[in-house]
Amino acid sequence: MRILIVEDDVEAADAMERGLSDGGHDCVRAADGEEGLKAANSGQFDVMIVDRMMPRMDGVTLVETLRRQGDQTPVLFLSALGEINDRVEGLKAGGDDYLVKPYAFAELIARVEALARRRETGSVQTLLRVGDLEMDLIARTVHRQGKEIDLQPREFQLLEFMMRHAGQSVTRTMLLEKVWEYHFDPQTNVIDVHVSRLRSKIDKGFDRPMLQTIRGAGYRLDA
Amino acid sequence: MRLPRIFRTTPFRLTLLFLALFAAAASAFLAYIYIATAGEATRRTDRDITREMSSLKGAYSRAGVDALNQSLIERAASERPFLYLLMSADGKRISGSIEESPLDEFGGAPTWASFQVTDFDVQGHEIKHPARGLQERLKGGEILFVGADVGEDEAYVVKIVRALWGAGGLVIVLGLAGGVIVSRNVSRSMGELNDVVAAVRNGDLQARAPVRGARDEFDELSEGLNEMLDRLERSMAGHRHAGDAIAHDLRSPLTRLRARLEAAFLEVEAGRGDPTQALAQALDDTDGVLKTFAAVLAIARLQAAGQAPDQAVFDPAELAADIAELYEPLCEDKDIDFQAELQRGLTVRGNREFLAQAIANILDNAVKYTPAGGAIMLRVRRRSSGEVEWSVTDTGPGVPETDRARVVERFVRLENSRNEPGSGLGLSLVGAVAEAHGGRLELDEGPGKVGELGPGLRVALILPRAG
Repeated sequence: MRILIVEDDVEAADAMERGLSDGGHDCVRAADGEEGLKAANSGQFDVMIVDRMMPRMDGVTLVETLRRQGDQTPVLFLSALGEINDRVEGLKAGGDDYLVKPYAFAELIARVEALARRRETGSVQTLLRVGDLEMDLIARTVHRQGKEIDLQPREFQLLEFMMRHAGQSVTRTMLLEKVWEYHFDPQTNVIDVHVSRLRSKIDKGFDRPMLQTIRGAGYRLDA
Repeated sequence: MRLPRIFRTTPFRLTLLFLALFAAAASAFLAYIYIATAGEATRRTDRDITREMSSLKGAYSRAGVDALNQSLIERAASERPFLYLLMSADGKRISGSIEESPLDEFGGAPTWASFQVTDFDVQGHEIKHPARGLQERLKGGEILFVGADVGEDEAYVVKIVRALWGAGGLVIVLGLAGGVIVSRNVSRSMGELNDVVAAVRNGDLQARAPVRGARDEFDELSEGLNEMLDRLERSMAGHRHAGDAIAHDLRSPLTRLRARLEAAFLEVEAGRGDPTQALAQALDDTDGVLKTFAAVLAIARLQAAGQAPDQAVFDPAELAADIAELYEPLCEDKDIDFQAELQRGLTVRGNREFLAQAIANILDNAVKYTPAGGAIMLRVRRRSSGEVEWSVTDTGPGVPETDRARVVERFVRLENSRNEPGSGLGLSLVGAVAEAHGGRLELDEGPGKVGELGPGLRVALILPRAG
């Protein structure tokens, strides 16, 4: 993947670049909004990581400008401003996701990959398939190896999200934000319990477990 | 030159303004009275004089100057209130009741004159009466003057006018004096308020304005000011307390973190030991610090804003059901019986996200402290007062009555819960959320002691009636 990092904090940008390059991604860096705009205009990127507060042109203006120019590259905002209205403002400007600093690196990678994936699967699907697991989005049914699996509505949504991001790690925060639509951090591991329930339904009685726990990151659904 | 303080006060200036208005009104009033009374008296006298003059002229044209002379003598001797003077064409007195005409010059045309007649009262004192007179030349060239005492009427009017002037002067003097007194009172009250403001500005948050119990607007202002200062003081105390608490709650994990990193560094430098364990612990510690920090920030922002942002109207049962769905599996895993009793069809106004977090925090606590085999009940209901409450009742150890107010404060964790994870800010945040919605947080005893369980805790988040 080609990733554009627009971040004025050199050390943070270094760490991001190192981590993403280790993961096999190409990174281009820009140190402020104007440079970021130039870079975005001169190259094709799969995802852009944009810091909100930068000298010369802030992140929101940068993304607004890009969107006006018709550039639809997915944008992940990074910000020290974590209030709900800050988030809403960022998303309104054309951002696709919003991550509050400081973040776990695993969280950043998971979100960047999720954004890139979302672009690939832009078309409307009615059937999701991961390995021998099948989800019919119209009939709201799930089968594994032809055997129907009975899921609660929330478990269905959870599995749908996992299937749409199969092969990538998704974090607990991502699940809470995207499946439950909450933006706070519960003190207890409520998400773990929901995932382990889902796991017992889709993996129990099958030879190979699909839903993996990734230490320090979250979960991954493997084919 | 600066005027004395009292003259610069608003009430005194208002007094002056009102006095000026009063003086203008009084002048207009006096003028009207004068015209209506004194003017009327003069007009009546003039009318009488004119009538007397034409009657005399009638006698003159009928019977000549001798008859007129005769008539004048008769009339002067009678009780008629007129003064007469008949003069020859060259102005020589022929007869009459006065010695000479009050007119210095006479052109020949009928001329009116105002003059004074001198009289003596019973004691022999000289009295002057105002009088009016008309002088005309007769057909034969003689000059006739008829005058009349304006009399008692006019004198009376003059007295009234004089009294009115006196009263006006008195009113102005009394008004000024009253103004000074009122101004002094008002400025004393204002001065007291100003003193309080000055004291607070100089950092004395304990200064309070006196309330005199008069229930007037000064008391109202004082009470408002005091209430504001109370809030400010509480808030300042809260911030100070929060500062100390943040220092405490962030410093200890940061110290641990630093020690761990240092130890790991030394180990690795010495070529022994695997830093992974220490690093993993350090990451956990960092996350803990960040969580505390986020909670402190959220509380501080809510308290600073005073009111939760982005409020909308929604069904409290729906929100409760959402959160219940999130927590139910957790309860089941811990072998806690979870039930929800949600009254439908109610509405509240608030920030859904903050309220969701508040209810989640309450449930978090309940799950944390309720042992296996216990029960948790989530309820939404309308109180008889119209308020809406979310409540969570558990069968955990509960909180002793004496500690209940304290656990809502920031960072307070009871001694026996020190080993449980959590920032100690859960209920503080709930309290802040409740306050930011004009509501409150209530802690009560749960269902009571049953065997090993209980007495439990009931935490209620209460919001005012919507709309």
